[in-house]
Amino acid sequence: MKTITPYLLKFTLTATVLTIIFRYFLSYGIENQFGIIITISAVTYGLLMFASGWYFGRKDGEYLPIYDVGFRFHLTTYLIHNGISLLWIGLGFGSKYENLNVSIMVAIYWGIFLLIHFVFFLWARKNSINNLDKEDIFE
Amino acid sequence: MENDKKLNELLLSWENTYKKGQLTLWIFMALQESKKYVDEIKNFIEKKSDGTISCEEQSLYRALRKYEHIDVLTYDLKEGNKGPDRKYYYLTNLGQELFNQFVNRNIKLFYSTEIKNILKLNEQ
Repeated sequence: MKTITPYLLKFTLTATVLTIIFRYFLSYGIENQFGIIITISAVTYGLLMFASGWYFGRKDGEYLPIYDVGFRFHLTTYLIHNGISLLWIGLGFGSKYENLNVSIMVAIYWGIFLLIHFVFFLWARKNSINNLDKEDIFE
Repeated sequence: MENDKKLNELLLSWENTYKKGQLTLWIFMALQESKKYVDEIKNFIEKKSDGTISCEEQSLYRALRKYEHIDVLTYDLKEGNKGPDRKYYYLTNLGQELFNQFVNRNIKLFYSTEIKNILKLNEQ
């Protein structure tokens, strides 16, 4: 698919690695009741995900200005974070205090926001041709 | 002297504005002539525009990617002198039709006798 660009793939790889590392430290912190590890890993994960989204998103726009109001990167983040979280706990890598239902609820609530974002994406598509902004196609 | 400086500044300012939006036309003209790879497109534009249009390779690559994305041009891979295969770009049927209609609507009008007289092109 033409909208799967090299920079989206690089972001996907980065997000996957960051999420696995985050999941490891989160489960370790919960298992051993280390609040500081839970806090640091969550804040670091949030900042690094934001930074990588910012960096690869900018590069992606320079490569091909796809007019999707950030939806492709949001969808990728959603699938990776929730996919890895559900697998992590489902396969038994989580701590004994973690509950699969919490991860399912996160995916559902986040999914509602993703759906709202999708509506904005559909609205933005009205101003695009092949997902490129009409105003930004020709030079 | 002062007037010459002002004229030159005004000319440069007008040309800078005028050139914005010209790159697409020059790329299409280059490909209308024959299939070309990036360096050839760049050379065509710089030579045929008498150096008035300069395009950086990055801008050219970005523009070509966009036009490929909207299906107005595509490419054949051919072996280069060294390194990876070269992409020889050419206009698709959609691109050709787009170019024809753009020229008909926006370029041909400059060739009417009336406009040529206003531009004093017949005197030169």
